[in-house]
Amino acid sequence: MTLLASTGCVASRQEPGQATAAVADALAEAGSAGETARIAVGLLDEGRVTGPVADTVLLDQLRVLDDAESALTTLVPPDAATAARRTTGLDAVGDVSDAVVAARSWVAVRSGGDLAPGAAEDTGVPASADDLLADLATALDAADAALAEAGGP
Amino acid sequence: MKKLLAAALGILTAIGGFVDIGDLVTNAVVGSRFGMSLAWVVVLGVVGIVLFASMSGRVAAVSGRATFEIVRERLGPRAAGANLLASFAINLLTLTAEVGGIALALHLASSVEPRLWIPVAALAVWLVLWRVKFQVLENVAGLMGLLLVGFAIALFQLGPDWGELLRQAVPPSPPGTEHPASYWYYAVALFGAAMTPYEVFFFSSGAVEERWTAKDLGTNRVNVLLGFPLGGLLSLSIAACAAVVLLPAGIEVSSLSQIVLPVAQAGGVLLLAVVILGIVAATFGAALETALSSGYTLAQYLGWSWGKFRRPARAARFHLTMIVALLLAVGILMTSVDPVAVTEMSVVFSAVALPLTYVPILVVANDPEYMGEHVNGRVVNALGTVYLVIVVVAAVAAIPLMIATGAGS
Amino acid sequence: MSDPRGEVRLVDARLHLLSRQVLDVDGEPAGVVDDLALAGPDGGEVEAGRDVHVDAILVGPVLATRLFGGRVPDSRLPRIAWDDVGHVGTAIELTVPSDRLDAAWVERWVRDRLIARIPGGRHDPEAGA
Repeated sequence: MTLLASTGCVASRQEPGQATAAVADALAEAGSAGETARIAVGLLDEGRVTGPVADTVLLDQLRVLDDAESALTTLVPPDAATAARRTTGLDAVGDVSDAVVAARSWVAVRSGGDLAPGAAEDTGVPASADDLLADLATALDAADAALAEAGGP
Repeated sequence: MKKLLAAALGILTAIGGFVDIGDLVTNAVVGSRFGMSLAWVVVLGVVGIVLFASMSGRVAAVSGRATFEIVRERLGPRAAGANLLASFAINLLTLTAEVGGIALALHLASSVEPRLWIPVAALAVWLVLWRVKFQVLENVAGLMGLLLVGFAIALFQLGPDWGELLRQAVPPSPPGTEHPASYWYYAVALFGAAMTPYEVFFFSSGAVEERWTAKDLGTNRVNVLLGFPLGGLLSLSIAACAAVVLLPAGIEVSSLSQIVLPVAQAGGVLLLAVVILGIVAATFGAALETALSSGYTLAQYLGWSWGKFRRPARAARFHLTMIVALLLAVGILMTSVDPVAVTEMSVVFSAVALPLTYVPILVVANDPEYMGEHVNGRVVNALGTVYLVIVVVAAVAAIPLMIATGAGS
Repeated sequence: MSDPRGEVRLVDARLHLLSRQVLDVDGEPAGVVDDLALAGPDGGEVEAGRDVHVDAILVGPVLATRLFGGRVPDSRLPRIAWDDVGHVGTAIELTVPSDRLDAAWVERWVRDRLIARIPGGRHDPEAGA
């Protein structure tokens, strides 16, 4: 999974097909991370999982999203079309990352962490699981769209 | 009654001891990416390990000698030396993966990060190796590993479409999104996870530790014939949980935390706690076994005094080996390498090293000088030869597949 | 060589002696036979055409030469006198405890310097949990 970065980050000219496949792989990873976050948030909301476990899940997925982002940033697109796909991809991965980061803050609040409930609005953390899930859904839709454009499954 | 209890204990220990971090991770990854289409590999692996574990147990019980001692005598020093180096290296890799697994599981159970748990886990493993009697060590780790049945419970509670799961398995129908090379790469990895080489060293040395004689052969056979297949069912339920919850969401497993999500979904916090405890126990038990195996292989090859039944002072180099192995494992893990990545590497390299372990067992189990009248029967030999072919094919295909698929990505 | 009944057995040195486990009188492993030291009839030099007997077993740290080839000179290898050998079976059984063998010095060193220094090193695990 994380080794996939090595298949994509060659700093020399790549075939457009190869580069697009690399974009698709990164987006698939991001989608996987976002979906995992969705499940974790839902489970915590239902009280089926503990705060620490949910936090660990989200932390692990943030690392995955980090890898996906570096796979995209270190890519050298061989043509304009791939470059455009790469930009869309980076935006989508960024959106998912933002949503997962927000989810982690929400988990901290939910578990009774330092972040007082009132401060949540100021820092832009969604107040409820539903808002969070909605944000995640939007980000994941964008990622899916970018993935479809890159010819992914 | 006492005999029945002892038998039950043996079987339960075999079930609980079957799953280690390699099985856990590989089955979950496979379930999340290929559904149940690789279930046949688990079945293949279980039959194989039953075959070879019973053979190595029989060899130890009848000849009173453990695997590597006989390997050295039968293969000669040079071939056995190559065998030793490869087996020891793979063992060390597996030990590293197991200790990493303990740390990851403890991280899930607490908020303390894995890096802090690594030295604690290794120290705990060593303390048990230092002081605890072999039988007790085996039984406690095995029984607590049974908690992993939580995965099977979770599967039932999820109320999956059994027909769909069966359809994925028979005939094997991988999802169209995955490349055939990846499918076969994971087939090899899953095979390596099921047929872990250290199991053979451990089993045969354990038979000597517990002073098995030809009379214990019957018990050996029952433990292995019932215990390992049931353990295989646990592996399949781990894969199935991933197939039911993670596959439809397009989630690829890359961390331990994802593996337990289906359990939380099915049974909430209680079942989750049970399973996490089971994972700690199973990885701890496996760490004990791999550490012991590293001691066994080196000591038996070099002719040193070995065994948990001896006080450490009478098996000094054996214990020193295990201490060094644990220190090396901790060293590797403290470089912040991802334990899941180490696990994935260890199962593939286990597949590569398989022929080195199994050829000698097959040869010795047929040698009347060591086995007397208990040499392999025709059926066992036929099966053993078939498996030898499978094992060699897997070993040869492993590295090329790993390169071709970029380790499965 | 003769067994306790005084009969003489023929053993193939390569097949039954080399690479075999050496066990001391208590059954504790004491090393592996790496080579045999032969001597002439009165303990002198070996001469072609004259009687030869086994003087000692050589056990020793030979992992590197075993793997890569080459030979460790006899004078560098620890010896176990053939007189200390009791029985040759699947393993070579001695009549003396390993503590009295020069050849077991590495094990003794590791024990005395390292293992025995860790608390519990001399504790017998089989005597109660």
